[in-house]
Amino acid sequence: MTSTRISMGGRIDRSRVINFTFDGKRFAGHPGDTLASALLANGVSLFGRSFKYHRPRGVLSAGVDEPNALVTIVRDAVREPNLPATTVEIYDGLIAESQNRYPSLQFDVGAVNQLASRFLGAGFYYKTFMGPKIWPLKGTRFWMFCEHFIRRAAGLGTAGLEPDRSRYERMNAFCDVLVVGSGPAGLSAAKAAADQGANVIMADIDARFGGSANWSEETIDGAPASEWASAIVQQLATMPNVRLLSRTSVWGYYDSNTLAALERVSDHKTRPSFGEPRHRHWTIRAGHVVLATGAFERPMVFTGNDLPGVMLASAGQRYANEFGVLIGRRVALFTNNDTAYGAALALKRAGATIAAIIDVRKTVSDTARSAAAECYAELITGYAVQTTEGSKQLDGVRIQQFDGQRTTERERLVEADCLLVSGGWSPAIHLASQAGAHPIWNEDLQAFLPPPPTDKWVGAGAFNGTFDTATAIDEGLSAGRTASGNTKPRKTKSSVVEGYKCQPNPAPVFEIKGKGKAFVDFQHDVTADDVRLAHTEGFTSVEHLKRYTTLGMATDQGKTSNVPGMAIMAETIGKPIPEVGSTRFRPPFAPVSVGALAAERFGDLKPERLTPMHDWHIDHGATMYGAGLWYRPMIYGLKGETVEQAYVREARAVRSGVGIVDVSTLGKIAVQGPDAAEFLDRVYTNMFSTLPVNKARYGMMLREDGFVMDDGTTWRLGETEFLMTTTTANAGKVMQHLEYFLDVVWPDLKVHVTSVTDQWAGAAVAGPRSRAVLEACVSGTAVDNAALPFMGIVHGEIAGVKVMICRLSFSGELAYEVYCGANSGTHVWEALIEAGKPHGITPYGLEALGTLRIEKGHVTGAEIDGRTTAHDLHLDWLLSKKKPFIGSAMMNREGLQAEDRLQLVGIIPLDNLPINGGAHIVEELHESHPSDSIGHVTAMCYSPALGKYIALALVKAGKSRRGSRAFVSDPLRKRFGPVEIVSHHFFDPEGSRLHG
Amino acid sequence: MLISCPHCGPRDVSEFTYQGDGNRVRPDHASTDIGAWNAYVYDRVNIAGEHNEIWQHSGGCRMHLSVTRNTLTHKISSSTPVQAARPTQKAARKSRTKA
Amino acid sequence: MVDTVSPLEPVLNRGRFANTAAQTGVVISEPAPGSIVQLAAWPDTDQKVREAIASVLKLNLDNSPGAGAVSGHRAAFNIAPRRYLLAEEDEGLAERLLSIVPADVGSVTDLSHGRTAIRIDGEKSEWILAKFFAVDFSLARFPVGQGVSTSHHDIFTQIQRRSETTFDLYVFRSFARSFWRSLCHASEETGYEIR
Ligand SMILES: [Zn+2]
Repeated sequence: MTSTRISMGGRIDRSRVINFTFDGKRFAGHPGDTLASALLANGVSLFGRSFKYHRPRGVLSAGVDEPNALVTIVRDAVREPNLPATTVEIYDGLIAESQNRYPSLQFDVGAVNQLASRFLGAGFYYKTFMGPKIWPLKGTRFWMFCEHFIRRAAGLGTAGLEPDRSRYERMNAFCDVLVVGSGPAGLSAAKAAADQGANVIMADIDARFGGSANWSEETIDGAPASEWASAIVQQLATMPNVRLLSRTSVWGYYDSNTLAALERVSDHKTRPSFGEPRHRHWTIRAGHVVLATGAFERPMVFTGNDLPGVMLASAGQRYANEFGVLIGRRVALFTNNDTAYGAALALKRAGATIAAIIDVRKTVSDTARSAAAECYAELITGYAVQTTEGSKQLDGVRIQQFDGQRTTERERLVEADCLLVSGGWSPAIHLASQAGAHPIWNEDLQAFLPPPPTDKWVGAGAFNGTFDTATAIDEGLSAGRTASGNTKPRKTKSSVVEGYKCQPNPAPVFEIKGKGKAFVDFQHDVTADDVRLAHTEGFTSVEHLKRYTTLGMATDQGKTSNVPGMAIMAETIGKPIPEVGSTRFRPPFAPVSVGALAAERFGDLKPERLTPMHDWHIDHGATMYGAGLWYRPMIYGLKGETVEQAYVREARAVRSGVGIVDVSTLGKIAVQGPDAAEFLDRVYTNMFSTLPVNKARYGMMLREDGFVMDDGTTWRLGETEFLMTTTTANAGKVMQHLEYFLDVVWPDLKVHVTSVTDQWAGAAVAGPRSRAVLEACVSGTAVDNAALPFMGIVHGEIAGVKVMICRLSFSGELAYEVYCGANSGTHVWEALIEAGKPHGITPYGLEALGTLRIEKGHVTGAEIDGRTTAHDLHLDWLLSKKKPFIGSAMMNREGLQAEDRLQLVGIIPLDNLPINGGAHIVEELHESHPSDSIGHVTAMCYSPALGKYIALALVKAGKSRRGSRAFVSDPLRKRFGPVEIVSHHFFDPEGSRLHG
Repeated sequence: MLISCPHCGPRDVSEFTYQGDGNRVRPDHASTDIGAWNAYVYDRVNIAGEHNEIWQHSGGCRMHLSVTRNTLTHKISSSTPVQAARPTQKAARKSRTKA
Repeated sequence: MVDTVSPLEPVLNRGRFANTAAQTGVVISEPAPGSIVQLAAWPDTDQKVREAIASVLKLNLDNSPGAGAVSGHRAAFNIAPRRYLLAEEDEGLAERLLSIVPADVGSVTDLSHGRTAIRIDGEKSEWILAKFFAVDFSLARFPVGQGVSTSHHDIFTQIQRRSETTFDLYVFRSFARSFWRSLCHASEETGYEIR
């Protein structure tokens, strides 16, 4: 193939030059070029090596259906493999590389695979590696041995290891009418719908709107098709109710008329402008959809049909008319239908010599015959291409007489540097298929057509199998009107289209049988023989065939190979094509970047929840810890301190003096209304209606099935007003639990629940000196034992800010929780620190908080794990017998009463070494063969109060094991050792310290 | 999937939380009939076809909806405020025996 | 008045950002109302609650979902069945409402610290919001005054349209900084100003 740039024509801008490299070599192109058209313009014919056999491959198509010319684009050291060169727009500085070749594209050692090719047929991997045995290794072990070599030898491009720093975004859109495709049919539909006043989105996968009008030879209403198209595009662009999305592939059609589209916003630019994403993922909710997605031309299957220089006829025409590239000087055509003659005319006009038109049909139409004459082409009917000639590119084709089934002896050589093929057309029905439409086989077009339109979508143009432009425009106009809700018949006249007009119906010929490799799926190197072999081996269902041969499963999703594959399958089985069936298309229609799907959930943009005192913590050396979405101080480490040293120091300060911890993350729910107390009685296991105003109570709630759900304190702020606190992790779950019961089960209760977690900043001041700290800074209320007894609530002020103080304790020490409006949180916190200075107040983090609670044997989410009951956690005392509550009936089930259940215990490692949460407790220790687990460790710390490592655990019949020995067994971390099982109340079991 | 919230209109399914089988009826709060509670907590009809479900518009107005969804096609034929559509105990028993 | 600190303080860097060549597509600001209050009615008191809103904020709401009104620094909109979000420049709105809404009429919940208001204004505000929320913000579907409750992943948001190009977003305080950053990031494309 000796392709060149034509001096005139095409929709490229010859006044500007774009420089880029391909395999390190510099090339120049023009704005409007794809990588494929620019390379073809430079005479490049070899684009890559094939998947399995490393055969030289060129360009087959001019668009998204391209199976062969896959390249890797390198941008800022990030490699993106497997992009069809036909869809990559060139930009200054573009770096492209060919794929699957070593050491170079021209000389590729992997091509020896062709010699071994009889071993690499369909099912090669299954047979070789899943099979019973291949001496000396067998099955999967043999696979592991060979994998490295095979992975290197077969495949597509390789991804890089650099992180992708590109920006991806997501976008939501709503419209009355979504038009997919912007050829004459799509444009007409968009215009008609927009004229009706509908909100319209028109999306096209290409950079330039207009579809086939961009390379058609026709005139529409007197103007060249491309000018007719740009005039409509310009009109649409000025309409406020129209949004035009170019470079946008609508790739998924989901229920409720939700469609997914990928817009390639800046892939065609040397550098995206600031803030501009690389890709934008659109979720489009459309009232109606107009599918004007056109059709894909099919190649013919014959020996050597993959040689560079063999190209789809429409692609040859498109390169000439849209890109100003003549794909060969001496062009032959091979066809089973009349449309290829139009391509011959276009190439003739662009300056090529049409060597011959080889048509499998014995007789052809007058239209075709006169077109051939106009091209000065030799018309050879009743012949077929038997094989191609040439090593890395086409020199000519050997043709033989063809009777519709097989070729006969009378062989001829036709010299040509390019062979344009046309095997008929397959409408691009992918989106309709995704939407659930079952395609219908059309005998005339030898293609699957969409079924009649539904109430959600309507088709137009070649999508419907309508290849006549004037009719396609009519269909578009009607579709646009229907989609926008206008059912009245249209009055406007049809457009006048002039140019080469033909019947697109092909002869039912898909394959010319011969010796040598004839490819059906170029990208996965699936040949016609592979399809037959699969059938011989029993794969008679089309879905099995697809998986066994991998036909249609490459990145192009079989856009060119689907129907030929099916036809060969049908012939082999001896059934008509429609009985063999069509495979259902699934999303995506075209590849989608994972970055666009992840978009804003990636990297720095992951949402974080910050407490009101967050900045103070950071400024004071806190190491932050992610707890769900929250960030909480883990420790406030001093210079040189380990984590353990820090939390031990902090916890010790609480027990000996006073500490302060940020508890703002606790879930807080306002429970308001005349029936609030009654509601809480039903929700909590213990009584809340008896709670006086300005008192708090510790409460526990169960799920319907009787297991513990959450615990926390609830404060009565008024007769009809409560403030419920939940654990940080369960805040959302508890809120939904309450809402469910109010909305679904007890709608008669007058109760409102509202999340007020973020309304309040909370600081717990804990330790024997805590009261002294409050006394130094609280005004407007006394805080002594009489005014503020255990579980009492007072309202006062700290540093001019209204605060609510509740005397309650998680640490077991005399302690208070101070709540104020979140925006004043830091102000109050700093005032407390200031007041606490004379008492050595120490801010403490989650680790110390955990240590203090483990010492006290208080439970948290590690023990309330959804599998434990109140009894298991020794919280029976909270179960009221005076009233029913959620879970009260189910918690009494036999199984939940059993004494051998996992129960909360304390653990003391007798070797006084740390153990980890998740480590098992066993009765006997066998390091290599761990014996049955009798439970697991839930939390562990070094206890400054006890001077040793301690842990909490859930152990089978734990209560009865108190005082006995067991072992910790943690094979993953290699931690084994003897432990003593004790009560979970390690420290101050009488609770005397609570009272200061 | 879009769910039509009676208050907010059609919204993406990601704004909703599935809150269980809409056919079950909670025994009287004070009931100690373990069999009835067991049926309520664990027994499900598992319909292939039109199914009554409870969804919460948790990412929106937070109301609970009674949704009739076809488990084979995801098609939602109705979604109403949950209270308007709660089955009575009798009706629920009937639908369970039918299934 | 004592020090109150907005969660946005460290990220509220006033000025123009993003591509200098680009125009300022949106202006992002923190209106910082003194009061943000939720008012919730019982099934039979919705009318009374809307009358209370009218008497305290001089804003009339009808009973349609999302109905709302704005006037100067006062705003009110429906966020859920029988629930309303109210905002006002002055502090103390909750107290004033409590004095006229007893518990058997409705519940007053002060959220002045619990929600952070973020305002986005400008020609591109609909475009920017569409990056976050699957809600149709077109003027025809979402008129001035209208409110909506929606979410961006975990970030629960209540949005009211103040004018053709202005929206107020109410987010949980703890998420405000994170959301603000995302909003600025998303606005780099169109150019933005923090005011
Ligand atoms: Zn809703």
